Amino acid sequence: MKRSLLTAVTMGAMLLGTSSVLAQQVTLQFWDNQQTESGLSDVQKAAVERFMKENPDIKIEVTTVPYPEYQQRLLTAVQGGNAPDIATLDQIWVGAFAKAGAVADLTEQAGAAGLARDNFFGGAWDSAVLGGKLYGIPFNVDVWQFSYYNKALLDAAKIDPANLSTFDGLKAAAEKLTTNGKFGVGLFGHKGEDTVVVGDSFIFSNGGKILNDDGSCGLTEAPAVEALTYLQQLSKFAPGGILNASSGDMRELFLNGSLAIEFWPALEQPTLQKSKLDWAFVNGTAPEGKTPVGTFGGWNLAIFESSPNKDAAWKFIQFMVREDVNGDVVDLIPANKKAATAFLEKNRKDPKVIMAHLENAKARPLSPRYLELADAQIAMFQEIYAGGDPAAAAAKACEAINALD
Amino acid sequence: MRKDRRLHWLLLAPALILMAVMLYYPMFGTVYESFHETSFLSPDPKFAGLALYRRILADRTFAEVVVNSIVWTFGVVLLQNILGFLTALLLNQNLPMQGVLRAIVLLPFILPGVVAAILWRFMYDPQLGLVNSLLLQMGLIENSVAWLADSRMAMASVIVAAVWKGFPFSMLIYLAALQNVDQSQIEAATLDGAGPTRRLLDVTLPAIRDVIVVNVVLTLILTFNYFDIIWVLTRGGPQSATHIFPTKIYETGFGQFRFGEAATYGVFSILVLAVLVALYAIVQGRANRRRVVA
Repeated sequence: MKRSLLTAVTMGAMLLGTSSVLAQQVTLQFWDNQQTESGLSDVQKAAVERFMKENPDIKIEVTTVPYPEYQQRLLTAVQGGNAPDIATLDQIWVGAFAKAGAVADLTEQAGAAGLARDNFFGGAWDSAVLGGKLYGIPFNVDVWQFSYYNKALLDAAKIDPANLSTFDGLKAAAEKLTTNGKFGVGLFGHKGEDTVVVGDSFIFSNGGKILNDDGSCGLTEAPAVEALTYLQQLSKFAPGGILNASSGDMRELFLNGSLAIEFWPALEQPTLQKSKLDWAFVNGTAPEGKTPVGTFGGWNLAIFESSPNKDAAWKFIQFMVREDVNGDVVDLIPANKKAATAFLEKNRKDPKVIMAHLENAKARPLSPRYLELADAQIAMFQEIYAGGDPAAAAAKACEAINALD
Repeated sequence: MRKDRRLHWLLLAPALILMAVMLYYPMFGTVYESFHETSFLSPDPKFAGLALYRRILADRTFAEVVVNSIVWTFGVVLLQNILGFLTALLLNQNLPMQGVLRAIVLLPFILPGVVAAILWRFMYDPQLGLVNSLLLQMGLIENSVAWLADSRMAMASVIVAAVWKGFPFSMLIYLAALQNVDQSQIEAATLDGAGPTRRLLDVTLPAIRDVIVVNVVLTLILTFNYFDIIWVLTRGGPQSATHIFPTKIYETGFGQFRFGEAATYGVFSILVLAVLVALYAIVQGRANRRRVVA
């Protein structure tokens, strides 16, 4: 009798304990996008399970949205008051989401947790800062562009791959390689962000700016116009149809051996590793004596202002960018520098070369109206690739960019 | 009598409520937003009067969108209906394997718009595409053409893709109409010595006139609103060479977060559609009256 009573009391206490934990458990909605077919979601699920084991009071519900739909889904959710607690935001969206008051200021939490710019790639960290405040934590990064080349084609043309690192060397190589139905260089100018990031990298490498320090458009300055003129000259050695071509189209041609040089981030390596091509790469291209400067791409983790569970969300973000976790949950490159080093060693060819390019890359302009700014740039690139005057195209782009308040 | 009227309204109520919620509320919401500056960055609408209308009308892109929409809509409708009608005439004959032929012809219509567009994107590829390959082999072109990247060719190229996707729809309607043409009239015309062309012009076409008109107006509405093909093939490019109202609305709203301006484009779109719907209603009404008289 006594024993059964004791058992009943014990069981009751256990049940009460369990229900109190359940009552305290918060559920976080985490939205992410899927850019590749890398099977990342399985790895991410395992990481989420691990987090929940470490934090039994927090339950994570992951929603993965295909990349083409992601921006629209997020936008609609925010407008409709149904935003998730946490989401990955493309670096170029952070400004707009911050200005709209949709995402939380993380400056204090990051400071208190010891998360600082030094832990991450500088350009990636900068992409989350608006008006001196931090609105996201860098999650993953990559850099546009590396110049991947087909070794066989370069050998046949007796071209030293090191020449591809300079403006003059790349142009001469592209001209020599454009023969017998093959093309030297894979330029693309469709209406897409890949057009912008590659164009930006040529401008950065030539010492140009998209926006000046005072926020005005810098595309009409000499270094930018020179880079644009160079791109126009280079386009003569690219496959036809630049104005509707994307980086994906260039990949097709590179893989079938009809394109000698393609521009892609490090994310291209797994695809090339699976191919039979003999390939290698150099870190972009710049005028003689200058170091090529790439354009940062990547995603930041942000907490939505509407989230009732910001503390739990912050815990989850800290977990996801931890050195021992970050490398397992990204298919680009971990934004955490220590995690990136290990990740590159394990997954990429010439990791030190990639690291150098990442350290030297620049973020795209930090503007809440970046998407309109990018549209003006795309119109400019299309005009240049269609044969228009680079200076006039840059002036038109600047007129549109300066009109954005 | 009063009971009957009440019952009428009671039965109509669910449909009316559904239409009000799903159709009229968003439509009036769009009109409301077009008079307000609103974007993702400043979600609280600020009354702007006609400022957005003035801004859009002053923008060179608007004129391009209007011209493109006209070229696109009439180009697709004209070609789709001609091709649909000719195919229907062909399939209305006693051909061998008629069932198989009809199934083959229907295939583009069954494909989702996005899939059809991706297919055409591959076919138009300047380096690897089937279109250039065939034309080069036939000696019709000397060098590969970048169909979707050339401002002069892009609109014609997307029209061809849309016609391929849409003509089976027109064909189906024409085929049904042709099979309802009074055969005794055709036989009488044959006995009077009328050849195939004369029979087509004097008997078949007058007999299916109402169907032709309804089909044309219906495809006008559907084509004006069509989004998938252009968005996947060109995103309205190169520059704005293939931007039409739906692609411009999407790009402005979801691509640039400028909801007020997207709504203003939407209002212009609604006005055009209202005219087309009114036209459809008039045409349909006349056709019904003719049937009653007959």
